[in-house]
Amino acid sequence: MNTVLKKTAIATGIIGLIVLFIQFCYKPYIKWSRAHVDYITAVEDHPLNCLSCHLYTQRTGLIAKLINADYYSPFNMAISADGKSLFIVAEEAGMLMIADTEKGKVIKKIKVGDQPHSVILDKAEKYAFVSNQWSDNVSVIDLAEMAVTNTLKTGNGPAGLALSSDEKKIYVVNSYASDISVISLESGKEIKRLSAGNNPSGIRMSADKSRLYVTSRRALLAPYGEPVVSELTVINDEDRIITKREHVESAYMIENVAFTPEGDLAIMPLIRPKNLVPSIQVDRGFIMTNGIGIIEQKPGGRIIQLLLDEPNEYFADPFGVAITPDGKKAFVSHSGVDRISVVNIDSLRKIINEHSTEELEFYSNHLGVSRRFVEKRIKTGANPKGIVVSPDGKRLYVAEHLQDRIAVISTETLETINTIDLGGPRRVTVARQGRRVLNNADGTFQTQFTCYTCHPDGHEDGLVYNMASKDMGRNLANTQSLRDIGDTPPYKWNGKNHTIYKQDGLRFSTVLTRNEPFNYSDLDALVAYIVTGIPYPPNLVYNPTGELNAMQLRGKYFFERTHDSYGNEIPEKNRCITCHPPPYFTHLQMEDVGSLIESDDSMLFDTPHLNNIYASPPYLHHGLALTLEEIWTIYSKNDNHGVVDDLTKIELNELIEYLRSLSGPEYYRDDNKKLQARIIKRKNSKK
Amino acid sequence: MNPRSVFKILTLLLTIQVCIITVSCKSRSAGDDLLVLTEVPVAMRQTVHHSGIHSRYLPEARISSVKPGKQDSHRILTGDFYSACWPDISYNGKFMLFAAQEQKDQPWQIYEMNLKSHKYRKVISVNDNCTDPAYLPGDRLVFSKLTLNDTVKSAHCLYTCNLDGSGLRQITFSPCDNYATTVLKDGRILTVNTQLLPDHGNSILMTMRPDGTKADMFYMNKENGSIPNNPRETDDGRIIFIEYGEADSHAGQVVSISYNQPLHSRIELTQGTPVCYSVTPVGSDKYLATGYKPGEERVSLYEFDPANKTAGKLVFTDPEYDIYEAVPAMPIERPKNLPSEVDLLVKSGLILCQDVNLADIETVKNNNPIVKATMIEVLGVDSTYGVVPLEADGSFQLKVLADLPFRIRSFDENGRVVNGPSAWLWLRPNERRGCVGCHEDPELVPFNRIPLAVKIPPVIIPVSVTEIKEKIVELE
Repeated sequence: MNTVLKKTAIATGIIGLIVLFIQFCYKPYIKWSRAHVDYITAVEDHPLNCLSCHLYTQRTGLIAKLINADYYSPFNMAISADGKSLFIVAEEAGMLMIADTEKGKVIKKIKVGDQPHSVILDKAEKYAFVSNQWSDNVSVIDLAEMAVTNTLKTGNGPAGLALSSDEKKIYVVNSYASDISVISLESGKEIKRLSAGNNPSGIRMSADKSRLYVTSRRALLAPYGEPVVSELTVINDEDRIITKREHVESAYMIENVAFTPEGDLAIMPLIRPKNLVPSIQVDRGFIMTNGIGIIEQKPGGRIIQLLLDEPNEYFADPFGVAITPDGKKAFVSHSGVDRISVVNIDSLRKIINEHSTEELEFYSNHLGVSRRFVEKRIKTGANPKGIVVSPDGKRLYVAEHLQDRIAVISTETLETINTIDLGGPRRVTVARQGRRVLNNADGTFQTQFTCYTCHPDGHEDGLVYNMASKDMGRNLANTQSLRDIGDTPPYKWNGKNHTIYKQDGLRFSTVLTRNEPFNYSDLDALVAYIVTGIPYPPNLVYNPTGELNAMQLRGKYFFERTHDSYGNEIPEKNRCITCHPPPYFTHLQMEDVGSLIESDDSMLFDTPHLNNIYASPPYLHHGLALTLEEIWTIYSKNDNHGVVDDLTKIELNELIEYLRSLSGPEYYRDDNKKLQARIIKRKNSKK
Repeated sequence: MNPRSVFKILTLLLTIQVCIITVSCKSRSAGDDLLVLTEVPVAMRQTVHHSGIHSRYLPEARISSVKPGKQDSHRILTGDFYSACWPDISYNGKFMLFAAQEQKDQPWQIYEMNLKSHKYRKVISVNDNCTDPAYLPGDRLVFSKLTLNDTVKSAHCLYTCNLDGSGLRQITFSPCDNYATTVLKDGRILTVNTQLLPDHGNSILMTMRPDGTKADMFYMNKENGSIPNNPRETDDGRIIFIEYGEADSHAGQVVSISYNQPLHSRIELTQGTPVCYSVTPVGSDKYLATGYKPGEERVSLYEFDPANKTAGKLVFTDPEYDIYEAVPAMPIERPKNLPSEVDLLVKSGLILCQDVNLADIETVKNNNPIVKATMIEVLGVDSTYGVVPLEADGSFQLKVLADLPFRIRSFDENGRVVNGPSAWLWLRPNERRGCVGCHEDPELVPFNRIPLAVKIPPVIIPVSVTEIKEKIVELE
């Protein structure tokens, strides 16, 4: 046995030496690998490191398990009335964690659904409710038993939660379906569905308990050139009807909202994008600005927007907002710059009262106004998201999303006084580092925006930008999703970037971030994260079980058909399936589908992938098609984007229904047993 | 001696060593590093200019080094030169760029010295005076050079080049003096800029990217038009410099502004009779200042106490020389290495203005300007480059020949001047640049709307040029 071991060791050693020799000494190999790495990275000085591409981008198998780690990623939080228990949603772990704030440690972990988003408590603190964004349900946790005792079915993508004032109903913001479920807590059944803005997220009851505000992340769909407008949906709690759809002009990504205890103001973090202005520079807020919206709670109350940014420093991706019980301070988390802005609410009131609406409109684009109401910026760990103030107003808790930690900040000294470690892995994996890079604005000049800003949740922000290619005002670009794009080169609509390395390398820094390019270690990490860490959410609306319904099956027929309704053979290149084959529904080639518009230079376009296409409006490279239907009813001429002219209205609807059913690429791979098991589980739970 | 005792002694020795290292590290402050000084003979005091471009050419100056608190460590580094000044230390703390004159009647040139071996070499060898070198990331440097040509007439423009002197490129193109340059942590150049034509204008702090693009005002003292000099960025996000009033013939006041909000954060760190020549941040919370101490005649080097607004402990003095500046020879964080959009094969740049009629909050308070501009004139140094009608929303888009200085003024429909002329502008080859308004509040960002001017081709400037045939560059 020893002899065998010895021989194996010697053989392994020899092979290892040969490999090392070839790798470091054999000139033809070195030359080849240099050329290979140069091709992949589109630069000539990227280190010859095989691991970055061939190890850290592994998505499945033992190696993937070894190089990655299971993090908790705290997201939103709630706190008990006595301030002793902190309820933390662990997004990646699918858990609710309960921390003892006095001991500063986690005392209980309760498994909930996929990608939990928010948690709230009832007044008696008998129950905690957790929305599970990828499971389309709400976990009801009995806090005496410390266990999930019920699951409430919701709409698609449940996010923000609020209880009605009588606590008999729960409002669930369905972020993917853009509506709100009103669920009776007695029956556990949904009793009403209210339509909301585009991609709603946060919900909060007003101080007088009469109405609820629901914020939207994406702007309402509109043709390029129309103002960017996001909806703030107002619900009357008593009647459970929508009383107003407030338009928040020039803003989007409104994640949350909070009311002052006096009830005179509501404050919501927001981003003011500049997508209609040619992206010719970052300086002077030409791409993104970050601020707050202040909603006056009086008849005829205005929505005022003020920037939190400063002339030479921007505070990217405002997310959470919390107000102290005395109504003196508001805190806003900036997940893109690892900071908390401390807002003096009396100063806000003064600004609002001193200026006319026109003047405030002017100030909504003014980088100097923040010095009049921001008291301090507090440094936090990576990617601060949800924040809560303790009931006594003395402490602010910050969910450091990519640090697996809760920061405890004194609201008096405005210093971090403690942290609660959630007990996640100590090591920062390459993909985790990549996720931090994607979520951090350090890579952008004066930290104006992050990759996440235009790609929230790794997806896209629904906006069309004028990237000022060649001349200003030409070649509009509809933001594309980053979900599972590792196997779908080339990148960009014009397909000029053959790898993610090229897409996010020097080109990216020269034309977009206008900052020093990512160092190669961070670029490797970013690529690893993009390739491995951004899956599609399950398509629970249009394809919950993995089986197509009758309408979708008919649509599938049209998608794959070889002959039109008159029996004529459709040329192969004009069949949907030719350019859009599974699993990604792209053949990775450049095509002309007649979508060029006057402001485009003559070019072919990269065929986009169609997975979860229902969640990516607007459509086409210019984003002018606001719905899937419009691709053919308005923007396709002479059957050059597939043959559809022969279809009846119903048949076109069936085709579209099939397109909506398209799910992540794993659904179309035969060998994915885990997925099959998940689908079976869903089928069973449905029964 | 048994092994256990040996082990104990070794452990003890190791512990002592660790303690010594720890204590020495803790007690070692940034100010303990070698200081590099610019000195001028006391006898020359009356002939020296203290502000403006003339302050950059110090007669019979020398660069020396000294260790703080060790007067006898003082060593002359530039004994071979008639005059040498304005050292800039490399990011690793091992090299120094400086301006020097070998003989009295020879031009000032740029040199680099190894601070350990004291060997130096000439970096730039040209016929015109060069001064104020500063290291740039990417093994390049920026410096001021007297430039004489039809475009700028006679002005100190900024140039960049590689550390071996190759790749020389002019990056400023206006009839303005640029000097006392430093590099901000964000990668931009910060320079003192004084307009020379058509009139001698205010001195401001100006930023630009190292390729000369996005040149913009950073700071200006609007109240009294005083002249800033020797700006330096601190570790806590401030810019500290000396500000000279018009009447200040010698020293000036120490002023600090915030990097984040430079226009509205000015703090005078000294008051009363001006006594300072320079101030330099050392590490995170320490400053060195050169100047007079009340009751003293010598211009010496002191620790500076910003809280008490006074010079503190004397660091170094020389009976025969005035100390003009001190910089620590210590490693510092490299600024960001910004990418460049400049393409020298392109002959023009683009500038977009969103609304000429948008200026500041006063225009809003006054219910927008009563007189609205309907056209702009683009002015060159010697002549006009043309008149361009504005779009209905007040926007314009110009394609301007690269590296051509121009100013813009706006007119109403009756040909009366509404605003301007602006400060001098230029566009680098392939630069794309945006303005929100005209003479607008510099803290304004654009409104999110499509300017009408981008829906039509840009107007070529000068308008006498009908077509610019050039390489097409696709940015995205």
